[in-house]
Amino acid sequence: MNKTWLVMKTMLKMHYSRAGKKNTELMLLLLAGLMLIPVLFLYINLVGNAVSALYQFLEPLGQASSILGMLFLTLHLLLFIVSIITVLSAFYFAEDIESFIPYPLQPYQLLLGKATTPFIYLYFTVIAIYLPVFFFYGSVSGGSIFYYLFGIILAVLLPVIPFTIAAIILMFIMRFVNIAKNKDRSKVIAGILTLLIIILFNVAIRLNTNTEDVMEKFASFIQKQDGLLSMITAFYPPAYISAKALGDFSLVSILSFVGVLLLTALIFLLFILAGQRFYLKGVLGVNSGNKKNITTSKILTRVKNRNVFTTLILKELRIIFRTPTFFMQCVIQSLFAPIFLFIIMMLDTNSLGFVMDSFDPKKILLVLFLVTLFVFVANATAISSISRDGASWSANLFLPINMKQVFYSKIATAWIINLFTVGLFLGILLFAIKLPIEYTIIWLVIALLTSWFTSALGTYLDFTYPKLNWTDEQEVFKSRMVIFIALLIEFVPFGIIGMIVWKMDAVKGIMPTTIVLLIVLFIAIGVVHYVLMKKLSNGDHLKI
Amino acid sequence: MIEINNVTKDFAGKKRAVDQLNLTIPDGKIIGFLGPNGAGKSTTIKMMTGILPIDQGTISLNGFDIEKNAMDAKKIFGYVPDRPDMFLRLKGIDYLNFIGDIYNIPTEIRRKRITKLTQLFSIDHALGDYIQTYSHGMRQKIIVTGVLIHEPEIWILDEPLTGLDPKSAYTLKEMMREHANKGKTVFFSSHGLEVVEQLCDEVAIINNGKLLFYGSLDDMRKQYESNQSLEQVFLELTNNE
Ligand SMILES: Nc1ncnc2c1ncn2[C@@H]1O[C@H](COP(=O)(O)OP(=O)(O)OP(=O)(O)O)[C@@H](O)[C@H]1O
Ligand SMILES: [Mg+2]
Repeated sequence: MNKTWLVMKTMLKMHYSRAGKKNTELMLLLLAGLMLIPVLFLYINLVGNAVSALYQFLEPLGQASSILGMLFLTLHLLLFIVSIITVLSAFYFAEDIESFIPYPLQPYQLLLGKATTPFIYLYFTVIAIYLPVFFFYGSVSGGSIFYYLFGIILAVLLPVIPFTIAAIILMFIMRFVNIAKNKDRSKVIAGILTLLIIILFNVAIRLNTNTEDVMEKFASFIQKQDGLLSMITAFYPPAYISAKALGDFSLVSILSFVGVLLLTALIFLLFILAGQRFYLKGVLGVNSGNKKNITTSKILTRVKNRNVFTTLILKELRIIFRTPTFFMQCVIQSLFAPIFLFIIMMLDTNSLGFVMDSFDPKKILLVLFLVTLFVFVANATAISSISRDGASWSANLFLPINMKQVFYSKIATAWIINLFTVGLFLGILLFAIKLPIEYTIIWLVIALLTSWFTSALGTYLDFTYPKLNWTDEQEVFKSRMVIFIALLIEFVPFGIIGMIVWKMDAVKGIMPTTIVLLIVLFIAIGVVHYVLMKKLSNGDHLKI
Repeated sequence: MIEINNVTKDFAGKKRAVDQLNLTIPDGKIIGFLGPNGAGKSTTIKMMTGILPIDQGTISLNGFDIEKNAMDAKKIFGYVPDRPDMFLRLKGIDYLNFIGDIYNIPTEIRRKRITKLTQLFSIDHALGDYIQTYSHGMRQKIIVTGVLIHEPEIWILDEPLTGLDPKSAYTLKEMMREHANKGKTVFFSSHGLEVVEQLCDEVAIINNGKLLFYGSLDDMRKQYESNQSLEQVFLELTNNE
């Protein structure tokens, strides 16, 4: 146990080390936190209102417990998806495991050490979603002391079950994928496929539920006390007993609570056993490259002359696509937002078209612009522009390359990767929302400019707070507050501008709004380029 | 020609890494750069190559100031860093192609030089593999190949012989000799005194960031009784600090 603890501590230290970080970063983090407080207020208010409204509607029917059922079910699903992503990167794409292999440690100890990082993300999710709903439900339903006691303990245990299910599925798959020659690539593919299948599975279930059927059942379930809860959680017992444990204090709630404890313990044990058996088999072994024997003369045909700018971009793209961690973070993760949006659209297209019709053109464009900004904001490619180079960064300094060119190539790379997102969005706008063509064209121009702006801003911020001395690619994206700053810079001014334009009667109709947005974007891009060039002529690239 | 004038470098909270260094290195010579661990060799080399900013003083390469005229200066030299762990996610051939594009080498010449050099180093079979799968020595060799693709006027190497097998070390030494014979400059740091003795026209010895000796081996023998070996001189020089 001591050793397990040691492994966990060491791994966390390696990930969150503050070596080479400036103190100003901490200050900015604090500032960012302060500025997010109003947003937090808004969010908590929103949750509070929603919970009490639902409660007032369901309580007279004797179905209030279904709120908890929904909460647990949604949370388990969400935690499961977050687990898949984080387990994939922490267990399979992080190479720091190799430095631990030579020591006399059990596989399960390494596994637990590796699990700490995903758990941090899972607890963030729990804090953000479970806690507010839990407290509001408690206050409207007048929860007893046991409600709060059990609920807090459940919050601590919540991530275990979804995490374990995700981890076991992945360990099992990777155990077999790891035989492939190009291990990096096959692991990435296996990971993406798993995720896709899960998402599709969800969509399929939703689409297949016959509404009339459900309504009928609904009517019969609603007759019984807590019938709705049973219906919602019919396929997933952990959510059912968790919700039961938080019901009115009685023998049932105590038994359910003990049940959750037992189930969690059992599943955790299963995780350790499976890990001990499968984990190392799925993770060890280095990429052996392609073993097809290509003759040298054939390789030499790949020698081609390109101009410096193209070759720099090509280099960046190659590195992103060939490094599993970069690929996951920069390409796959950036597709999430549009894919999720798409799923929601698929389920509920009519109402959105209706919303579209009721808005005036200015508002449609403004909403589109803000949504686009939001999707590009956490642009992992841009905010890792410099840090991705790691030990190779010095090559930019000793090779005869113009620094401006280096930076433009990095911005362009982020912009190119964003094209995937733009493309997906274009599809959604055209086919799911059926946006009129003139709006679509205007949106496209605005989106491409917005993408350049966030790419340039992300690159500038990464240049200001770079993280070059990493040993594992994961560190490039871990505990980086650059994302936070980017969020702040992009939302506060643009939010305010958006609001002003929204209210301003002088700006009306498609063309004026478009022109205003274009002017704002050009100014924003100009400012970012100006500060970036200023930093370069200041020689800051030598100081990182 | 390399001119290092009164160069000083400080790292925050440490003793001076390089202290008032003056050194002028003529063309067509091989120069060995010696000194104990932490003497300031890599720091000096990093300032010469534009990786580290110079706190005081100037460095120019063939008359181009590395700070004021960076682009022209950088076109003149090729640099082999002490840790060859760069561009690991590129394939060998991608890396060489990248370097070729940066220095704008015509395709035909590029092909010819890649073939010749990789065969000499026996890494031609690995060109299609990721550099990540290369051994330390192979990584060293691919970077040397990258440098020689553009035949720089000045060749700067930081501990190039560590980790090379005897045959590759021999090949590399031959290449350095050949490079100097073409009238170009080779400047390298090393801990191998025999190598320096057998290869170098001149040596520079530093300790604690200060230059202790610069001159030919003959000068050294004259200055410190002729029968002493380089090893003894080195130990003596670096000890009495
Ligand atoms: N990035 C850095 N930050 C702080 N101090 C540094 C840094 N790089 C080098 N130093 C310090 O500068 C001094 C000179 O280091 P340098 O790497 O130049 O030595 P060296 O002669 O190359 O040694 P070696 O033979 O071990 O390679 C040392 O005291 C070292 O601690
Ligand atoms: Mg050194």
